[in-house]
Amino acid sequence: MIENKIYFKFDGKTFEGNEGDTIAAALLRNNVKLVGRSFKYHRPRGIYTCGIEEPNALVQIINEHNEPNVRATVKKIYEGMVVKSQNRWPSLKRDLGSINNLLSPIFSAGFYYKTFMGPKSFWKNVYEPLIRRTAGLGKPPKEFKSKSIHLQHNVDIVIVGGGLTGLLAAKKLAGTKYDVLLIERENSFGGILKSSKKIKLINDQDPNDWIEKTERLIHNSSNIKVLRNTLVNTYNFKDHLIALEDKSVGKPQDNKKPELVLHKIRTKQTILANGHIERFISFRNNDLPGVMLAASFEKYIYRYGVVPDESPVIFTNNSSTFSLIKSLIDLGHKPKAYVDIRDPKKIEKEVVELLAKNNIPFYAKSEIEGCDGKNEIKSVTIRFKKNETAKIKTSMLCVSGGFNPDIHLFTQSKGLLKWDENLITFKPDKIFQNTITLGSVSGNFSYQNIMKEINEKLSFLEGINDLDIKLDIEGPVNFHIKELWETKNAKKSLWSKSFIDLQNDVTTKDLKQAVTEGFNRIEHLKRFTTNSMGTDQGKISSINALGIVSKILKKNISDVGTTTYRPPYAPLNFSAIAGRSTYEFYDPVRKTPIHPWHIKHNAVFEDVGQWKRPWYYKKYTNETMHEAVQRESKQVREAAGILDGSTLGKIEIKGKDALAFINLIYTNSFTKMKPMTARYALMLGEDGMVKDDGIVCKINDQHFITTTTTGGAANVLAHMEEYAQTEWPDMNVYVNSITEQFATFNISGPKAKTIMERVFSNIDFNNKKFPFMTFNNFDYLNSKVRILRASFTGEQGYEIYISPKNALTLWERIFYYSRGINLVPYGTETMHLLRAEKGYIIVGQETDGTVTPIDLNLDWMIGKNKKDFIGKRSLIRSDIISSERKQLVGLIPLDKSYGIEEGQHIIEEKNLDTPIKKPIKMLGHVTSSYFSPTLNHCVAMALIKGGNRKIGSQLYVSTSDLNVIPVEVVKPNFIDPKNERLVS
Amino acid sequence: MTRTFLAKGMEIIQQDKQQILLRGKGDGIFADIINKEVSLLPPTDNLRMINNDEFLFAKQSFDQWALIFLKPKPEKEIFRLLSAFNSNEEILASNYSNTTYFEISGENKNHFLSKLTHFDLRSKKFPVSTMAQTLIARIDCCLYNFGDRYLLSCHSSFEDYFKDRLQDAIDL
Amino acid sequence: MLLINCPYCGERDQSEFTNGGEAHVARPKDPSQVSDREWSEYVFIRANPKGIYYERWVHTHGCRKWFNAVRNTSTDEILKVYKIGDPPPPIKEFKNTLKSPSGEPDVGSGNFTVKKI
Repeated sequence: MIENKIYFKFDGKTFEGNEGDTIAAALLRNNVKLVGRSFKYHRPRGIYTCGIEEPNALVQIINEHNEPNVRATVKKIYEGMVVKSQNRWPSLKRDLGSINNLLSPIFSAGFYYKTFMGPKSFWKNVYEPLIRRTAGLGKPPKEFKSKSIHLQHNVDIVIVGGGLTGLLAAKKLAGTKYDVLLIERENSFGGILKSSKKIKLINDQDPNDWIEKTERLIHNSSNIKVLRNTLVNTYNFKDHLIALEDKSVGKPQDNKKPELVLHKIRTKQTILANGHIERFISFRNNDLPGVMLAASFEKYIYRYGVVPDESPVIFTNNSSTFSLIKSLIDLGHKPKAYVDIRDPKKIEKEVVELLAKNNIPFYAKSEIEGCDGKNEIKSVTIRFKKNETAKIKTSMLCVSGGFNPDIHLFTQSKGLLKWDENLITFKPDKIFQNTITLGSVSGNFSYQNIMKEINEKLSFLEGINDLDIKLDIEGPVNFHIKELWETKNAKKSLWSKSFIDLQNDVTTKDLKQAVTEGFNRIEHLKRFTTNSMGTDQGKISSINALGIVSKILKKNISDVGTTTYRPPYAPLNFSAIAGRSTYEFYDPVRKTPIHPWHIKHNAVFEDVGQWKRPWYYKKYTNETMHEAVQRESKQVREAAGILDGSTLGKIEIKGKDALAFINLIYTNSFTKMKPMTARYALMLGEDGMVKDDGIVCKINDQHFITTTTTGGAANVLAHMEEYAQTEWPDMNVYVNSITEQFATFNISGPKAKTIMERVFSNIDFNNKKFPFMTFNNFDYLNSKVRILRASFTGEQGYEIYISPKNALTLWERIFYYSRGINLVPYGTETMHLLRAEKGYIIVGQETDGTVTPIDLNLDWMIGKNKKDFIGKRSLIRSDIISSERKQLVGLIPLDKSYGIEEGQHIIEEKNLDTPIKKPIKMLGHVTSSYFSPTLNHCVAMALIKGGNRKIGSQLYVSTSDLNVIPVEVVKPNFIDPKNERLVS
Repeated sequence: MTRTFLAKGMEIIQQDKQQILLRGKGDGIFADIINKEVSLLPPTDNLRMINNDEFLFAKQSFDQWALIFLKPKPEKEIFRLLSAFNSNEEILASNYSNTTYFEISGENKNHFLSKLTHFDLRSKKFPVSTMAQTLIARIDCCLYNFGDRYLLSCHSSFEDYFKDRLQDAIDL
Repeated sequence: MLLINCPYCGERDQSEFTNGGEAHVARPKDPSQVSDREWSEYVFIRANPKGIYYERWVHTHGCRKWFNAVRNTSTDEILKVYKIGDPPPPIKEFKNTLKSPSGEPDVGSGNFTVKKI
């Protein structure tokens, strides 16, 4: 096989690797063992595993936006990749932070909680900068624009894992009626078949041929979809899986294509065939570069053609390392020694014979006491009798501490586990969702039984046949293990440590200390020691920690229990979670039919709900918002202005019982109202608080059209639907949103009528014919318009409703006919200013869900003679009728040159101490404040305790620079209190 | 503005149509009034749609029907129908012409839409001649299944946003 | 992310629905005749149990229809959906999902990972 050579950089030095190599494989190929520094003690760390479970070998990819904490054992290299090691300064080999290691007595469990207690100023100036510099992993990525997308799937069966078991399950399902999704986290299928020589032949063929044939079968069956390089991260209720696909495996990120795809999968059945994870053993300095898990070592040989070391020492408590010894021998190498904790009588004869035949030193009933070396292993110490040890020179130690079914996803699905005394591990027991576990994840460590298990567990599916398979297995057929979590170590120096969590630098001593200090519940102990809280979530070590803790507590492991496994299974980028919901797609955008005109006329937009509304229009480039708003406001009061109100919610209500319904929904009484008239109306919640306001137009007793606030439209419709369906289902009434079906323009100002007369020359706008708060429909532009005489500015005003298709034409005509009148387009800010001058409220600004109509002095809008309406009963509760509630008033600064800030407190104090020493009584707050160009001073509204009684008195408003402004409390109606302009 | 979106095995054509949204009991009187005007009986099963060359008639919900005019009609005619339907006090007919339509066809249409919606488009869950109201690109949409193609509709205020999302889904 | 079986549209993703709180809390027929206490209980007080809960849902982004559901609040399982106006199904129908006095079921609460024997 000819491999393509690839050149990449690690810490500034160029290395050569093969195509398909992970960073770790390529570094091992170059005999690089030291790849990082640890989290807390800055100890040298190497490559521990060959996959997702890696705790140590985390690196930063400089050319991918500085992406930190990338697993070197997963990430594939490509030409020109720039990789940097993490958490070291100034360099990997000479790291100054490693002084922490010698200070380790103060860095023990609960160190953060105990040490950084005070004084207060130390936290900000000393502790935090120090911790930030020395602890932690990579540096945060630089800003970049994600292209990650989401893809949703609806299927019948998901198979998680494309190893031997997953492939067999898929083969069974090929060509059936079920829609199947097969998800494999690696680039290629095969799992253990590709990572070891444990299975020699399948149906008398080479496993690679069998994989290829099976893949072809799957590929040709139309009911199976396949995802590669995809990791299932989350198993939610109800049978909802989230998987992350890496689209740029082994190549640089494409500027135009998504780098990550987040698959959201809804299924009926989930088959977990996601295998197992090898665990380590704790001994003295078990973190030194050169220590590696045995199965990972074998995986480097078969997946990447890299032999990390030609003569490693092998240390195990189980029968699984036979194939590793055999593989090394077949390659012409030889393990330096074989150390097995098990009794010689229990060790399989295949192992014993293989060792003897090849003259490999064999230590049964022995253990590794520890290992030594500076930046990597130089020697290991073997304890072969109680007090007898031997030191062996070696540069590599392969460890196998047993296997855990990869139960992370199973427990995320809320399935329950049980302890298996023979396998010395937790395995799935009781399912909660539609989950099937197959193969080693189910605790079936015997390849010979695999087909039987699959046939049995899938037999409930319709139209599938039993399969048969013949496996030739290398070495011991049955798995055997003896419990061992930690070896007894002879403490040599401060440098000697026995780790339980490599990534978070938690030692076995920390576990003991935590239990001594009273943290004997596993969830507490985890948080206190930070055990298994790293990005690897303790994949190779968390069960070991339970083993050690159960021994200290003298309990069964199953009584200690595990900590809760939560999604995600492995870290995933925020960009993948966000998908396309960023930047321009952060939220859907709605535009009115006049939008293009607004853009052409330099509108600055404001987001109101999802709508883009003109905030103000820039008349010239340097015009500020304040200048624009003052200009627009003045022009409306002097001539006329036009506002695009198309975003206002509009609801059509019809049915035999429409009148009764609308009488219950709004506070006002509509019974005596004449057809074709309109009324300003309030809507309350059952708690009596103002929910929304709008104008109700009555066509007749069976047909109404109401408006809502822009932001409240959806809620108001939902509120009406809820009552129509759930409380009064016998009422004959239909409600429908027609917001989109009409564009709405508000024209107001002293010249409004003149403009209307010019545009609609066939309509009589005489006040007698067309008085305030009436409306009518007219033919116009081959379509219809509805015109309503109403105003939100206090000026003479008209609202025009027209179909959106004709809206822009009408809008432009209005300007055409307003030649010489000085009609101004105005935005939401001017609208707010004009209504504040009139003391009109805005729901959500003057109200906040705790304000009743009585508080707003809008009692006149309550239909007192109505038997019932939503919220009526609440208005006579004792605390609602109290005169001490906050009431809406107006404020005018005594010194007219002062401005009042919105949101400031209303107080009685003339002066404020700096700094403030005693509590200050807060009477209320400013809800709205604007500088009125017409009055030439600031006008504000406020909610003040017992405000109605305070009209005419003097109070103070705080400012953001801790001053106070004296103000006069007035009625909130600053312009035209008699409404002469309004009805003119 | 009418636009066409093209991707491998998939084509989206924006179309202009008119629509009347009907609310009512769906009883005999309801059916009679509608039948008199458009010679079509409203479907009675929820989410069922019927169509001919001129109309698409779908029961969208327990009390709601959409009458879509596949061939454009003069606006006068729409207003005439609206007032005819609304003459009965137990029917609410609203003009829903401010709706944007997309016709989606091609073998990859389901794969393409799965970038934008969680909705289960498999024919066993979404049979031909049914419709669904669901979220597509995070907005409320109606989807009508003609078998070889879908008709998708959304409020026109979302038109620009939705077209940007379609183009984005094609590009990525 | 739940899968909710709308009685009108069939199974749909949870994101199409809105929860409407406890079901079968009837608005007093004549609110003016109830005491402050009775009224405030109607407006503010809900059962919020651990275990079987009768609650309302609305298919907001679908057919707009309100319906009732029986949900086990400790496992999130929706045990039954039924129409507004239908009587609540008796609690004994769902008895097998209720185990300990506190309502903690054998499996599905997520509060422990190992089977208690």
